[in-house]
Amino acid sequence: MTEFVRFMERPGRSPVHPNALAAMQQTGEMVPQKQRGGSQRFLQGGLSAPITVTWEITAACNIACIHCLSSSGHRRPGELKTEQALALVDELADMQVFQIHFGGGEPFIYPGIWRVLERCTARGLVMCISTNGTLITADRARRLKQFEPLYFQVSLDGGTPQTNDSIRGKGVFQRALRGLELLAAENHSLTVNSVLTRHSFYELDTLYEIAESFNARLRVTRLRPSGRGQEVWTELHPTKEQYREFTNWLTAHPDVLTADSFFHLNAFGTMLAGLDICGAATATCCICPEGEVYPCAFFQAPEFEAGNLHTQSFREIWQTAALFDYYRKMGGGACSGCGQYNVCHGGCPATKWFVHRQLSIKDPECVL
Amino acid sequence: MSQSAAQYRLIAEVKIRRESFGGILYKYGCADRGALSFINSPQLIELLIAGQQQHNGDVSAAIESSRYSEASKQRLYSALDDLVKRGYIQVQ
Repeated sequence: MTEFVRFMERPGRSPVHPNALAAMQQTGEMVPQKQRGGSQRFLQGGLSAPITVTWEITAACNIACIHCLSSSGHRRPGELKTEQALALVDELADMQVFQIHFGGGEPFIYPGIWRVLERCTARGLVMCISTNGTLITADRARRLKQFEPLYFQVSLDGGTPQTNDSIRGKGVFQRALRGLELLAAENHSLTVNSVLTRHSFYELDTLYEIAESFNARLRVTRLRPSGRGQEVWTELHPTKEQYREFTNWLTAHPDVLTADSFFHLNAFGTMLAGLDICGAATATCCICPEGEVYPCAFFQAPEFEAGNLHTQSFREIWQTAALFDYYRKMGGGACSGCGQYNVCHGGCPATKWFVHRQLSIKDPECVL
Repeated sequence: MSQSAAQYRLIAEVKIRRESFGGILYKYGCADRGALSFINSPQLIELLIAGQQQHNGDVSAAIESSRYSEASKQRLYSALDDLVKRGYIQVQ
């Protein structure tokens, strides 16, 4: 215990919130090396640097989605200045991070976004911008051609204005389509990003066709109960029957991307392509507008803040944050004895936390 | 395939990084569903890095310019065939 306290008091090392510590410790011992299956063999313990970093560069947004994972809307007072953002790009490049996934908020509202993209290009970092598409103009779409490699994800949470706009706001469906059109006209690499809900489930084929019409790929991701998503998760998250049909649909559409976010559905018995485990704090993490670093974009709970870039370097947080140490060593909790543990690894920790404030339980959307 | 006469070339969208267990390959973009592969052979990772950095992506050239035994070459070409199937390498 004495050693633990000393460990926690090292200068610059953020302490772990007691609730987070208790929740992580309740998951039990890390699975022994010999018993680790699938991607877990390589990911448990963490990689030397993230593969991709989700960077929510501003909280400012011109729309207000009811499920926004970061409760975005207004710019926050402590958001990183452009010079800080440029230094962060350099640090990520030095660490050999492969890709930055810009989100928010709406990244195009961040005043320094053009300089940040310029620096990423100069440093060879792959850029992916998650945008609502409404601020794309013909001029911007053209200007963006100077940056590479650059990919876009334009959000549509339904294949019809009714479904999409009930989540993303009135008129947003048409404005997002216009953004897609402008980006497609400049031959940008595009995906249409769609959060799977109880309602959008019925419009998957339409979403697929919309994506195809812009020469884009469809990317369907899992709804998490984080941010404002906590308020609508019960009402919007898909049913088990929908998930079963969705698994079949995904299998029939191998070109559809998923952000590897549906690995909990592997428990149905069909292994989906991609990672079979959560990559939070091991292969990815999230940087928030005010410099907070979290295990992933869906785990922006204050108790799980690993550190802050206003006081520490990113490398220091990734390599030494006590929270990340504990997070990477979590056990399987209630799922440890399950016969399907090696194919789903207990599902999404963020979903467990935001629904039940525990990590040792099974995924609230466990399909068994 | 496993033919040393064929040219094995990394696709342009592959990033490679050393890790303690060997290394990782990543097909970038807004990609997933198989974009990431874990390679637990440091020898293979070093070969791929050499191919990418010194031979403009030509991994065959990296093999042929190194002093591998015939048995090692066969093992490496066999591993490259697997990477062809997973979309990281093209055969020309």
